[in-house]
Amino acid sequence: MSQNAADTHDLSWNPEDPHGSTMHAHHVISWQVLLLVLLALLACTALTVGVYNLETWIETAFEVRIPKWVNVFGAMSIATIKAVLVCAFFMQLKYDKALNTFALLFCLLGVGLFLTFSMIDLNTRDTIHAYKGVEKTVGGTGSGLNTPAVDERFNSRLSPHISTGNAGIVEYARLNGNANHKGLNAYRENDSLDEADFWTHFYGSHATHRDRLDEHNYFESLGYAHHLEGSKHSTANLSVPRYGVTPGLFDDVAPQEHAGGHAASSGSEHDDGGHESTGNDNGH
Amino acid sequence: MTTMTDTNNPPVPERIAKHPNFWRNRKHAEHFRNHDEEFDAAKFGMWLFLTTEVLLFAGIFVAYAVFRMMYPDAWSNGSHYLDWRFGGANTVVLLISSWTAASAVRCAQMNNQKWLKINLIITILCAFIFLWVKLQFEYFVKLGDGKAPGTFFSYPNAHDAHEQLWWSLYYMGTGLHALHVVIGAGLLCWVLVRSIKYQAYGPGEYTMVENSALYWHIVDLIWIFLFPLLYLVH
Repeated sequence: MSQNAADTHDLSWNPEDPHGSTMHAHHVISWQVLLLVLLALLACTALTVGVYNLETWIETAFEVRIPKWVNVFGAMSIATIKAVLVCAFFMQLKYDKALNTFALLFCLLGVGLFLTFSMIDLNTRDTIHAYKGVEKTVGGTGSGLNTPAVDERFNSRLSPHISTGNAGIVEYARLNGNANHKGLNAYRENDSLDEADFWTHFYGSHATHRDRLDEHNYFESLGYAHHLEGSKHSTANLSVPRYGVTPGLFDDVAPQEHAGGHAASSGSEHDDGGHESTGNDNGH
Repeated sequence: MTTMTDTNNPPVPERIAKHPNFWRNRKHAEHFRNHDEEFDAAKFGMWLFLTTEVLLFAGIFVAYAVFRMMYPDAWSNGSHYLDWRFGGANTVVLLISSWTAASAVRCAQMNNQKWLKINLIITILCAFIFLWVKLQFEYFVKLGDGKAPGTFFSYPNAHDAHEQLWWSLYYMGTGLHALHVVIGAGLLCWVLVRSIKYQAYGPGEYTMVENSALYWHIVDLIWIFLFPLLYLVH
């Protein structure tokens, strides 16, 4: 907008300026609108944090398990509302040329494609459709969401010079510790330290199941086993609060019971809301 | 163009009034028909760049989704290690800074030189507060605990074999975002310096204010999604 823009505000068609761009006035958003949008954004932030704390409180107070999609869907919906507010008002897309909005929407289409195809791939990686059975050949890892975790795959090396031996990175850290936290080995080798202290701290944070390295079953002696009292798994009447799949948790469940049993299938419904595809093994 | 707020501005010193960077003296590039076309082209170019930024972060978000599906335990534990209060405080800081950035554009459009500078300064201060909270209360504490990415991981009380992956994604996502905060603050500093020295931005010339603000808003936008995904979703 040049200084003489005001003088050229003539509504007749101008061959020098066929698209009338000099007549186009930039929109100045009023401060009231900007302030209102800010307040709406802050309210949305308070809302999403409030919903998160409410969910956590309900889960601990009533020992129920809210499906994970509620948590994800709620948080993402509020985030989307906030994003639309920022784009429309702060980034002025509402008042702008539509071309800029199209550029953004086209890019979001690309993001959608990334996500969708990654999810489809992940969900079907270890699936062989019956009609393709004759083409089945040996090859690839074939591991996917429905394949049990194989810990040997994570024999990562800590650095080129230090081998973690047969342990994964996390297990290696648990044994060896660091400058601020003593590892399990320190508790075991040092007589003045009680191994129970390590496990008190360990189970105290996210008690889920007995750890593989917990050889003397501190899980039970420290009183965390009540998490698995009675039915170890969620039933129709009692939902055991537990986050995610716990490797080894179902080891004592006989395979045929797991595949066909009623209790087992209701358990696997609850143990993991992160991916619904685990229901596959129940269906066949 | 004279605006109502011109009367509020102190008279422009001779040194600035004759300077080619003063907004009234700016001429559009010769290959544009007029300044509006130049402005629209620059802004569309900025939007195209911002889409590539969104696609860059899309990689992080897809990695988040993939790993969350593969290792739900590690992801659940991971979000419980983070304190929503720090994330929430930083969200508020970024939202306020986005508001002041949008207000800075408004002030430039209305030739309100004083509040243009004040808004820019608040925005830049918010950027520093954001980075300070991030480093002081999150990065340094977590790295001290050994909650480090990938092979640097040495936290003995981890409960899931894949938590080092969570930390890899956490540092990658928030680190890339923090880098954008630094770049955005740098752009806004440049705008601030030029508006102090030359009164370079006004109703006829505010492309750089607009585009820097757009960049700052995209930084805010990314955080709007990073915050719930990292701190709230479990």
